[in-house]
Amino acid sequence: MALTEGFHRHGSDAFIANFAETEREVLVNLVQQIIEILAERHDHTNDDPLAALVGITAHDSPPDDEVLLRLLPNAYQDGVDAAEFRRYTESTLRGKKRAHAMSIRVMLLSASDGEVTLDFESAQAWLGGLNDVRLALGVRLKVDQNSHEELELLAPDDPMRAVYAVYTWLGWLQETLVEALMDEDGS
Amino acid sequence: MGKLKSQPTVSEETAAEISAIFTSDRPWVVIVWDDPINLMTYVTYVFITVFGFTKEKATELMLQVHNEGKAKVAKGAREEMERYVQRLHEYGLWATLAREDQI
Repeated sequence: MALTEGFHRHGSDAFIANFAETEREVLVNLVQQIIEILAERHDHTNDDPLAALVGITAHDSPPDDEVLLRLLPNAYQDGVDAAEFRRYTESTLRGKKRAHAMSIRVMLLSASDGEVTLDFESAQAWLGGLNDVRLALGVRLKVDQNSHEELELLAPDDPMRAVYAVYTWLGWLQETLVEALMDEDGS
Repeated sequence: MGKLKSQPTVSEETAAEISAIFTSDRPWVVIVWDDPINLMTYVTYVFITVFGFTKEKATELMLQVHNEGKAKVAKGAREEMERYVQRLHEYGLWATLAREDQI
């Protein structure tokens, strides 16, 4: 099956892409890893069922892991305010990110012919979910403003070369979805 | 008694400033920071979707983030700004909030 040409708008509320089998496998695998890394941050220590019910987490310090910190950043530069905000909101944010990744996973696994059709709502989940994968890979690749040339020149046998290829492919895929969403003429 | 000939017109921005003065909170602002991973078109799209900006305004703010390292993208009551930061984090943007007089 041909490689994907990215997302295209069909009518007012449908954004369609066709994925090759290998592309589906790569994407499912990547979002699965996001689901797993978010699960590592699960609240093992919060035994208070009422606190859990209203979404208060045991976490008020930022994650040590660089990827988790990028996915669940501080909302304040001030440490005290950041901790307070995190305590009341982090589990909600984690839940959203998990839902975005799950949405991508479920839709890809149920698309037996490789065709995925998004509406506006699921497109938002895909944008956020694809972006989380890009953030995770970008942190691991140590992407910064000046690193693109270095990354382009990685040796063919460097394992990071393949990671960088997936990272740039995801950026391209995300961009086709953004352009389809902004294409209000529906052309 | 004197009577105003017409209703004074107040721009939306001025009205927001006035209401901010009379709320117990000083105005808070949402700051979006430049990061090397998020794509420019994506950041523009998120600004349009979250804040309802026109494409022109969203692009201008995105360029300010890109060129100056950060931009103030919203201003108002603290709780409202916290909700914006939370939504921006859902999209993976690097956003914080602060009191306007402390930045």
